Amino acid sequence: MQYNWDWGILFRDPYIWWLVDGLKWTLMIAMCAWVLAFVLGSALGIMRTSINPYLRLIGTTYVEIFRNIPLLVQLFLWYFVFPELLPEEAGRWVKREMPLPGFTTTVWALGLYTASRVCEQVRSGIDAIGIGQRNAGRAIGLSEAKVYIHVLLPNAYRIIIAPLTSEFLTIFKNSSLALTIGVIELTSMTRQIEEYTFQGFEAFTAATIIYSLVTFTVMGFMLHLEKRLHVPGRIVVEK
Amino acid sequence: MGDFDFAIIYNNIPFLFEGMKTTLLLTVAAVIGGIVIGTVLAIIRIANVPILAWIAAAYVNFFRSLPLILVIFWLYFLVPLVLGRPVGAFSSVLIAFVLFEAAYYSEIIRAGIASVSSGQVAAARAIGMTYTQCMRFIVLPQAFKAMIPVLLTQAIILFQDTSLVYVVGLKDFLVSAELIANRDQKLIEMFMFVAVVYFTICFAGSLLSSHLQRKLST
Amino acid sequence: MIHLKNVSKWYDSFQVLDNCSTSVSKGEVVVVCGPSGSGKSTLIKAVNGLEPVQKGEVTVDGMVVSDKKTNLNHLRARIGMVFQNFELFPHMSVLENVKLGQIKVLGRADDASEVKAKALLDRVGLADHANKFPSQLSGGQQQRVAIARGLAMDPIAMLFDEPTSALDPEMINDVLDVMVELAHDGMTMMVVTHEMGFAKKVADRVVFMDEGKIVEDAKKDDFFGSPRSDRAQLFLSKILSH
Repeated sequence: MQYNWDWGILFRDPYIWWLVDGLKWTLMIAMCAWVLAFVLGSALGIMRTSINPYLRLIGTTYVEIFRNIPLLVQLFLWYFVFPELLPEEAGRWVKREMPLPGFTTTVWALGLYTASRVCEQVRSGIDAIGIGQRNAGRAIGLSEAKVYIHVLLPNAYRIIIAPLTSEFLTIFKNSSLALTIGVIELTSMTRQIEEYTFQGFEAFTAATIIYSLVTFTVMGFMLHLEKRLHVPGRIVVEK
Repeated sequence: MGDFDFAIIYNNIPFLFEGMKTTLLLTVAAVIGGIVIGTVLAIIRIANVPILAWIAAAYVNFFRSLPLILVIFWLYFLVPLVLGRPVGAFSSVLIAFVLFEAAYYSEIIRAGIASVSSGQVAAARAIGMTYTQCMRFIVLPQAFKAMIPVLLTQAIILFQDTSLVYVVGLKDFLVSAELIANRDQKLIEMFMFVAVVYFTICFAGSLLSSHLQRKLST
Repeated sequence: MIHLKNVSKWYDSFQVLDNCSTSVSKGEVVVVCGPSGSGKSTLIKAVNGLEPVQKGEVTVDGMVVSDKKTNLNHLRARIGMVFQNFELFPHMSVLENVKLGQIKVLGRADDASEVKAKALLDRVGLADHANKFPSQLSGGQQQRVAIARGLAMDPIAMLFDEPTSALDPEMINDVLDVMVELAHDGMTMMVVTHEMGFAKKVADRVVFMDEGKIVEDAKKDDFFGSPRSDRAQLFLSKILSH
């Protein structure tokens, strides 16, 4: 196997800054997309468990559409197709004037996609708590909204901490898809280093280590959070 | 929106079909490879074979912490280097998918085996069965029956993941559609067509999975 | 036949068995009873090694259970066990459940196993259900199949871990009748149960456990007539007033 090793390449200008930039943008994408996914996903999860059949239908339709189309295809639809379908004014703004089009589209697409998955986690959390709890809440006179706020959600979120963390890590990994529309993020930067220097082994190892470290750290944080918020005696939903 | 050019889709069906064949071939091969290696990993971990169980756990955790795109790049770069000669994208990508999916399949299989109640194991051991007999006749048959819907769901996920071969230009269904889209300036038609096709196949698959789940639960 | 000497067991820091000593002679029927959490299930599972113990000695027919040289699988093949939740193998028919151990563990031929299995199913009154699957049977029927499955191994002793606790009241007697018949046929039995009527009918001795300790170990008549410990008296008064 013919290969010239040069681990020092990772620490040299400009390559080290490419890595730093890549990581920075990856984290930005992940966090912005997560906020969108969490808020929208929670709303959808509530809709899918609602006693209102129309809300349930909207939730189910959303989930089925977003999880049966590959994420990459969804990204392309939002980036290439959606602007063309908008009315003239809006379309022009999106194509010309929207700041950071690649970044924004990625956050939007990734957020909407992951929302469908968060929705399912929230739904399974609420289902795990059971209809008995919901009935008990209503029996003391709470409105459905209050039942969710005071009875269901506080418990549901606690028992789905592990699967939700897993979804966050999935967003983190899926941010790599942004490279297909030219966005700067960690994987694309390591590919760039490989193309410029031919030191692929070193470059990809850097990415591998960084992704593993982030995963490891986030999982550790999650375990700590789970311990602190644990309801005694309650079993958690397994991922 | 204007007129939707259906003809562009209709005229290129053969080419698109070739792309779909690649997608399906990659999916099926990766599912089989993933399940075989995943089962081995799962059994090693459950039987707690010293050292090997640790390696299996490290393997699973490692591949689950990486984006699939990175794994594809790794193998695309590494396979020709190791073999000392250029290799087609398909082989590298196939290896990448098998290695990656094996980690996910191993977790599904491990959960399936764990779902067989310990009472069943106790009953089997109580009549004097060895560990291997217990696994072969009592645990694994029940485990696989429970797992089939989840294995199918993972296969659907894999089917969607194959679209990522885009990053190395392998001519799968998506890339074939994109080539036409760019050549004839018909992005809207082609991408929407791709979305509809994926949706139809995956949705049908998920219905089948739900159906199997109902049928197989005693 | 079965000897437990100074047996102690801990789950982490929780002591579940505390210096327990008792025995079951050949042909004897010993009933083990006590409140929930007294360790009686753990005690009986220590006999065939399903629950290993940290201290003390468990001996079955001369074989020391905790000895590394003992082939536990061989030992277990010679002792039958019936579980609270029946634990029939759901993916096999009733007949196959009773044949499996004979073929795979004892190495009997398929024909011989089938003949014996059918005979045993007949003995427990379920000959007509041989080709059904466990999920198609009632709890009481499943438990009787479980007894047949244990008997198919030609055991030297039978262990019962709360065999009727998971059954609806109307099915308990069907199972107890089979067990009484077994006792009258001279089977060595160790039974964890709340069914004091059964104990009064066929037990030779009663062992009462509380908080991991054996509090009383007396002949049946002594136990029911004049139990020595307050704890046993309290337990009996609660149970027998049902």
